[in-house]
Amino acid sequence: MLYSVETRSLSKSFGTVTAVNDISFAVESGEIFGFLGPNGAGKSTTIMILTTLLKPTSGQALVFGFDVMTQPKQVRQSIGYVQQESTVDEYLTGKENLLLQARLNHIPKDQIDKRIDEVLELIELSDKQNDPVVTYSGGMRKRLDIAGGLLHRPKVLFLDEPTVGLDIQTRRKIWEYIKKIHKEFEMTIFLTTHYMEEADQLCDRIGIIDRGKIQVIDSPENMKNAMGNEVISLTFENGNSTDFLSQLRQIDLIKKINEDNNKLTIFASKGTEVIPKIFQISSELQIKIISISLTQPTLDDVFLSYTGHEIRDDDIGFNRKQEHVKMKRLRA
Amino acid sequence: MNSLMYDTYTIFWRELKRYKKSRSGVLIRLIQPAIWIIVIGNTFSGTQPLIQSVGFEGQYIEFMAPGVIILTAIFTSIFGGVNTLWDRRYGFMNKALTSPISRSSIALGKMSAISLISALQSSLIVGIALAIGVTFPNPFMIAPIMAIVILFSLGFSGISVIVAATAKSQETFWGVINFLGMPLFMLSPALFPLELLPDWLATIAKLNPVTYTVLLVREMMTGVSEGGISTLLSIGVIAVFVLVMVGLASYVFTREVNKPF
Repeated sequence: MLYSVETRSLSKSFGTVTAVNDISFAVESGEIFGFLGPNGAGKSTTIMILTTLLKPTSGQALVFGFDVMTQPKQVRQSIGYVQQESTVDEYLTGKENLLLQARLNHIPKDQIDKRIDEVLELIELSDKQNDPVVTYSGGMRKRLDIAGGLLHRPKVLFLDEPTVGLDIQTRRKIWEYIKKIHKEFEMTIFLTTHYMEEADQLCDRIGIIDRGKIQVIDSPENMKNAMGNEVISLTFENGNSTDFLSQLRQIDLIKKINEDNNKLTIFASKGTEVIPKIFQISSELQIKIISISLTQPTLDDVFLSYTGHEIRDDDIGFNRKQEHVKMKRLRA
Repeated sequence: MNSLMYDTYTIFWRELKRYKKSRSGVLIRLIQPAIWIIVIGNTFSGTQPLIQSVGFEGQYIEFMAPGVIILTAIFTSIFGGVNTLWDRRYGFMNKALTSPISRSSIALGKMSAISLISALQSSLIVGIALAIGVTFPNPFMIAPIMAIVILFSLGFSGISVIVAATAKSQETFWGVINFLGMPLFMLSPALFPLELLPDWLATIAKLNPVTYTVLLVREMMTGVSEGGISTLLSIGVIAVFVLVMVGLASYVFTREVNKPF
């Protein structure tokens, strides 16, 4: 089977920093596949390898069976790449930008006008096509960027953080356009995002990537189902958390527990039945529960359960966690 | 080959579009050479006996006008590559690099656009020179002079593209460009005849492609040849300079853009 995108033990280091660490995955033709992870997880680096901008340190990356190292030209002919930042020329008009894009991608001369009109209509910018881009809003620029990426009908469209920096209405609008172009052209779409909702809305399958490693690949639905169907968050104080946790783990309905200081995230089925049991255990151990809540799992919870931290955690958070782990080891 | 030409034209077209939309830049870049030709041209008008001693009959301002035309060409073209840095910073470069066009066509497109822009700027200086009374013995020479300016600027734009592709920051770019631009202009007979330079300076000047361009353009403008350097030699030196720079620039550019920025 020929995959649209395939990597085998792909790694990329910059000096001593490993940005992408031994990742292997395959994206099927026509799929919308998303890389979900925080900033600095290695998403953009992977895209830059797949689009021939960076050479991998080791491993292999294939786009439509073409090796990015040995057949970069064929790879470039098969892909469209929409970068994180807007790359349209501000002083050119929307149409001129697309004309440039068409020429860069060797669209036959007699088809250029037709294709440009077609995508302009698709992204609903026909009436603004002769205005300089400098007058466009952020969302319009992004649409123009995306239009440029699909003008030559690539087999794989790479979208690097397609809605970063846009407000929520505009973001939703961009999602609609992405779904629309996917339906229209049936190309494979490979996108990266750090928005849970975006991955949930758009992707057939998601790879959760953190610190250069893929933690899990599955459909958003499966991921959420694997969590159990409910999430109990609780905070407590004073008491032996080790005993508390080990007793909680004996409850059958609890599938997974994440611990962060005095905060527990419990993934369970039939949460309403689990909560009384939690209280029973806590009162036996004289642990005081400060707050408790019961919610449906979101991709946020999925992410937390696979990476041990929330996606909004910045590096300081990570360092603190490391610090915490170190302290724990020292105490032991 | 065909596709190299097409791709080069694509980049050339984009660069010229950008130039056309920056009208204020066109005028700002004229201020410096205009000051040179007006202020220096008049300040040194007293050196007329000196330049007459080497066989030049006209006024000093007529002697140095070709020098200022070349000055315009030098600085327009050597500054011209700076947008390479912006392109790398703001993603246009990545867009071009992930498209099927060849790397060298990006460099060549930029260079040809820069050299045409340089010729346009220089022709405006020719206009200023005519306006302040510099006479042209042979007006039909303007077209071939512009051809020489385009060719010469192509070589200098190569320097600019090399520096821009290698430099990782604006600071480095401007540092290197300023270090190169002024000395290359000064170490030429643009303002002063080659024969009147001290021997060691004249020797250095003879290694400078600017020298041959100035001599050639001055000969075409005024009909006076100096320094015992033949027209053919000047054309030859310029041609070799341009070929070397074009080759070197596409090589260095291709190598540098493959590295992460």
